Order: sequence, then structure tokens, then C-alpha cells
Amino acid sequence: MKKLRNEFADTMLEVGSADPRLVVMVGDISHGILQPYAKACPGRYYNVGICEPTIVNMAAGLNKSGLIPVVHTIAPFIIERAYEQIKLDLGYQNLDANLISVGSAFDYGQLGCSHHCYADVSLMSHFKRAQVFVPGSPKEFNALFKQVYSQNKINYFRLTEFNHGVDLDLTQIKAGKAIRIKEGNHLTIVTTGSQLKSAMDAIPLLQNEGIDPEILYYHTIKPFDFNTLLDSVTKTGHVMTVEELSAHDGIFNQVIKSSVQIGGVQYSQIAINDFVHGYGSYQDLCTRLDLSPQGILKNIKSDFPHLLKSNR
Amino acid sequence: MNSNLRKTIAQIVHHSKEGHIPSSYSIVDIINYLYENILSFDCQNPNLDSRDYFILSKGHGCAALYVVLEKFGFISAKDLEQYGSPSGILGGHPDMTKVPGAEASTGSLGHGFPTALGLALGLRIQNNNNKIFCLMGDGECHEGTIWESANVGANQHLGNLCAIIDWNQSAAQLLPEDDLPARWRAFGWETHVIDGHSKEDMDKTFPKLKFSLEGRPKAIICKTIKGKGVSFLEGHGIWHHRIPTSEELHQIDLELS
Repeated sequence: MKKLRNEFADTMLEVGSADPRLVVMVGDISHGILQPYAKACPGRYYNVGICEPTIVNMAAGLNKSGLIPVVHTIAPFIIERAYEQIKLDLGYQNLDANLISVGSAFDYGQLGCSHHCYADVSLMSHFKRAQVFVPGSPKEFNALFKQVYSQNKINYFRLTEFNHGVDLDLTQIKAGKAIRIKEGNHLTIVTTGSQLKSAMDAIPLLQNEGIDPEILYYHTIKPFDFNTLLDSVTKTGHVMTVEELSAHDGIFNQVIKSSVQIGGVQYSQIAINDFVHGYGSYQDLCTRLDLSPQGILKNIKSDFPHLLKSNR
Repeated sequence: MNSNLRKTIAQIVHHSKEGHIPSSYSIVDIINYLYENILSFDCQNPNLDSRDYFILSKGHGCAALYVVLEKFGFISAKDLEQYGSPSGILGGHPDMTKVPGAEASTGSLGHGFPTALGLALGLRIQNNNNKIFCLMGDGECHEGTIWESANVGANQHLGNLCAIIDWNQSAAQLLPEDDLPARWRAFGWETHVIDGHSKEDMDKTFPKLKFSLEGRPKAIICKTIKGKGVSFLEGHGIWHHRIPTSEELHQIDLELS
């Protein structure tokens, strides 16, 4: 299965070959896979060095000169380390860039918390001109990037290492629009990025307990598609968010905002509360945090016990 | 020495109750020299593609930039009068989205120079011959991004980029090991040391710089005096961010007359 990072390289080649304004700067990652782009677009690829704040700041200067910059490195280094540059040099100066990270929340599970990033989506969401995407398959990244890269925005793409495995209809992939993956009646599961796989794998476990879930998939966190959420929750009255994002400011907050007008809705959240200490594979850490089919079932049993057929 | 520009700086700071007079006096001769002798620009079309760029990275010295922008027609005398007021466009740090001729919104130190670096790279990618000047403080050279950028600028051979350092000894108050010329040379920049208040020194240096799309970037280390021109403002003391009273403004005016 193609990795999103490889799709990133292929998309840069595709878009950069057609648009001479595209310039890619990296902080010494993905250097090898970007060589086809570098060869096809001479003078528009820079492995700048290990200096992320300066790379983001340079992107502002590149954009001021009329170019469309892409900055690429690991999530905590691009968003958290260089946040003041994003805030001031892009935000305050009203300049544009495409920031594309890898590593997601804890894809580098074996490397420890220095390579984790839980607050990137939250931090980027503070800017009115920002758009935030968490695609979970190569097809989504390619489609979304081409839709928005030259829109005079600050676009942030959090690329996940692991594909959710759902073959989405290309015509459904629209920036700012959620996708209703499965219709259901009892509960709305809202998820993003790789965690769509957990939600899909949870379906038979939930059905075995007599629960028919509706699954909404958000590749775009900002702007958040409030209407799709509202429609679903009005029907089900129960929402669970499953997200590799900070519990303090992830899609759960957007769900609350979307549904506050309905009243009587019951909520459950599976997210990241604090540093994920310790080591292990991505799957190990997901299991520990209940970001798994079994974790979804466990949290539904504790938060929505009345939905279980055995309790009806 | 530009006494009239200094008088105006003191007046607008006194009027608005905001500003850094000594930091502005430190750099006003350099900025005025660049606009008068070096930079290509059109004040009626501040975003002209072929213009040269001047970025003030030490944004707190912006009163010096404002009076020069007014002198060369980018902004009006009324804009200066409204400095620091809600109805105006000029504040305690420059905002490029509001001020014609301000090429970067600075304030937090260490940002204008990397912006200039990206701008220089972007213009080179497009084969444009604009020159890019960026003025930063010696204290600002404590910031890591300055040296990240110095490293990248030299390695990218950005011969269209000129850093100007206001070496007014602010930095040495904190970190006395302060040999800026040696450091910029060590990073691979063509480095000159001049008197930042001397037109003669600037005449000997700036017009002779060789700008190119591929070459060594330049660093002009300007020895300056914080508060230059008014005895009681000179040096590193209480005047860094102090607003003069009416009597003190009168004294400033007298010393500059």
C-alpha cells in the first residue's frame, strides 16, 4: 500500500511540473524520495538544513517574492518549534505557505516524545487564514493539495504514516467537506486520518452488541464541516470522537460547537491527554490509548451503556 | 548626521508616548543613506516588482524608518502625526500590511533577517536582480535564527543579500564576547566594518558592493552609538524606552540645532 509520504513526493512532482511557482524546502527528511521533483523542477528544491524556524521564516520571504512555498519536516519541528514563525511571519504578515508534516501524533512511537506531536492541529487552527488537513490515504492528500495549495492560505497537512485502508470515492474528497462513510442510527463516530481504520474495524464489534454506528470522516479539520455533523447527531443523539489529537483542543471541541444547539446529546472522546511516555510501535501506542476497535467498544460500554442491546 | 530626522523622531515619540528613541538614533543615518543613495524604489508604487528591498529586522527602531519613509514620500506628515494613535497606520513596531514601504512586520527579534533570506532566494529563483538589505541589531544577533540564516545564506551563495548590523554595543552588555566581524567572516560573509554615522564611510562601502544572483552575501557591521546626537540619550541606560517630557524634548531640540 502506498505511503502518504511517497504520495507527497509524487504530488510535488505532479504539481511542481505544472506550476513554476512551487518551491519545496525540507529539513533533511524525504530527501531521497523528492529527487524526481528536484530533477524535474531545477532550482525549486532545497534541503535547507536542520533549522526549522528559519525554513518557515524563509517560506514567508519566498511567498513575498511571488512563489508558493512548501515546507516539509517532522510535525513537532515544523509546528511547535517554529510556531512563532508561523504566527508572525505567515499569520501577522498575511503571507501564504503549505506546511506538510510527517510523524503525525506518535507515528515515531519508538523514538519517544521528542518526535511526537499532539497539538499541531490545535495550534494551526488559531489562525483565521489557516486550513488544516489530516488525510489518511494518498488519494486524499493528492486531491486536497491540488485543491488548496495556491489559495492564498496557510495550509497545514498532517501526513500519517499509516493508511486507513478505505478506498474513498475521489469525487467525495473536497476540502472542508466531511464524508459520511457509513450510515447508522444509534451513535455517530467522528474520526480523522488513520483512525478511520479503527472506526471501520469497530463496526462488527459494535453490531455484535446491537449498536448501529454512523461513521463520519473528517480529512479537513479547519474549516470544520458543521452541517454534516449536525445532521448526523440530530439523528443519533450520541457522539464519539476518535482522534490522534490533543484531548484539550481536537475535533471533540468542534463536535461540541456543532451540536450545542441540539441539546441532550451525549458525548464520548478518545484522544491524547498528555505526553505518551514509553516506547513501542504505532499500534502499541494506539492500543494503550484506546485508539483501537477494542478501545472504541470499551469506551462505548462505559460512556453509553444504555446503547448495548443487553441493557435495552 | 541627520539632525532634522532625529528631531522628528523625538517629536513623534513625545507626542504618542511610545517609541525607542536611542535605538532609532543609532540607525537613522544608515537608513537615510540607503534610501538617498542606494535603494531603487518608487514611493508612488511601493510594491514595484523591480524595487530593492529594505527590511528593518530590529523593529523597535521603527521611528527611524518612519521618518525616512516620510522624507522619501511613502507616507505623509499626517501619518507621522498619527504615530501610535488608533487612527494611524504607524505603531511601535512596523506592520507591512499597513505601512507603505515597510517590507516586513517585525518586533520579535530574529524574524526580519530570515524573511530577507527567503526573499533573496525567491527573487533569485525567478532570476530577478533586486537587491535585498536587512538591518538588524547587535543584540538581535543573540537570536539563533540570525545564525541559522547566516549559515544558510552563505551556503546558498545569496549574492543579492546584504545584512547590516547596528553594532551599538547593546549586545556586549549581556555577552561581552562580542566580536561580530569575526563571526560574520567565519560564517562566510563578505564583511566590512564601518562607522554607521559617517556618510564618508558609507560612501566608501555601499556603492562598491558587488551584487549578483550567485555570490557571497555581504555583512556591513556598522559601529554606532545608541542615542547618537544627544548627549543625555547616548549610551545604555534609562532612555531605551523612555518618553521625553516637554522640557526634555526642548533639550533634545536644542542639542540637535
